[in-house]
Amino acid sequence: MSFLFNRTVSSGRSLGRIVFNNAKAPLVQRVATKTDQATPAVETRPTVAKLDPLQKSQLIDFGKYVAECLPKYVQKVQITAGNELEVLIPSEAVIPVLQFLKDHHNAQFANLVDIAGMDVPSRPNRFEIIYNLLSLRYNARIRVKTYTDELTPVDSACEVFKAANWYEREIWDMFGVFFANHPDLRRILTDYGFEGHPFRKDFPLSGYVEVRYDDEQKRVVVEPLELAQEFRRFELSAPWEQFPNFRSNPAAEEVVNPGEDKPKQE
Amino acid sequence: MSARQAIQVGTKTVKPVLSSSQGEARSRVLSLYKAWYRQIPYLVKDFDIPKSDEQCRAKLKEIFLKNKDVTDIRVIDILVIKGQMELKESVKMWKQKGHIMAYFKPTEEPKPKDFLSKFFSSNE
Repeated sequence: MSFLFNRTVSSGRSLGRIVFNNAKAPLVQRVATKTDQATPAVETRPTVAKLDPLQKSQLIDFGKYVAECLPKYVQKVQITAGNELEVLIPSEAVIPVLQFLKDHHNAQFANLVDIAGMDVPSRPNRFEIIYNLLSLRYNARIRVKTYTDELTPVDSACEVFKAANWYEREIWDMFGVFFANHPDLRRILTDYGFEGHPFRKDFPLSGYVEVRYDDEQKRVVVEPLELAQEFRRFELSAPWEQFPNFRSNPAAEEVVNPGEDKPKQE
Repeated sequence: MSARQAIQVGTKTVKPVLSSSQGEARSRVLSLYKAWYRQIPYLVKDFDIPKSDEQCRAKLKEIFLKNKDVTDIRVIDILVIKGQMELKESVKMWKQKGHIMAYFKPTEEPKPKDFLSKFFSSNE
């Protein structure tokens, strides 16, 4: 009898706790949203990266310092996504800028993490080459962006970073950007005899040729591809807005822009 | 400043890829052609392809003459660079027999030119 009593009491307790929790949970949420509205600068959502104003001011200072040290080469310094510093340079300035960032005592970006490419056919210089650097000494990252077109060679960064060798071969293979003074520039991802550069925007999705095994030749043969589908204009933009959160705040905020008359004060 | 900009409207100074003059580009093309030409007997023997030296030389000439109308020095340089890369791939035997034979396109049927053959080849 006492056992049964205990059970009912305990179940009643737990029931009461559930009811209490249910009553309290929305109260807590409401308070949280109120504080959010009061101070929008503090990010409380756990899945969103928190902005560190100290780190950002340090990045802005460093960006200005780089622009002052290399006034001949740096065209623009900007910060994207809150805390990513970008240095925009012309294509002939790759080696001096990377050498500076690697060897300067206050930078020490000794690691080349990656080299990326980007193709925007509407621009006069359609390709962007993007160098991602990492400084283990200062726990900092920086991005160096340059531009080129199909025929203008970019100086190879191999003499500064050994790691650039394969990355530049990849860019050459995928985009067809020629790197001058590269020690061993050749294809790295595509097959021998492959024509075209697949990451160019004007490269068709299906490629130019198809490859199949031929029974008579006893060999893999390459044949030009004929699309069964007629040309049509694909409407790729959605009717609704995709990134409403980015409507007001621009992707990049300028730190230094010597292209204009005076450096813009942040 | 404005005068300099006005001059730059008409002409654009570009960085050369390799050659700075038409003659230099021409000599590069000729030396690449000679290198391929001299390599042909070895390629035929090493890859054991069912083609004679004469056929290979005719194909080499055909491939070079495909770009005979290119006049931009920088485009010529890029084509020469790609040709040198292909030669290296062939000489070092990185390519295989199928890659060499792909130049000859044995399975490709020529496209129908006249009306009747177009009619016969069409699906309707």
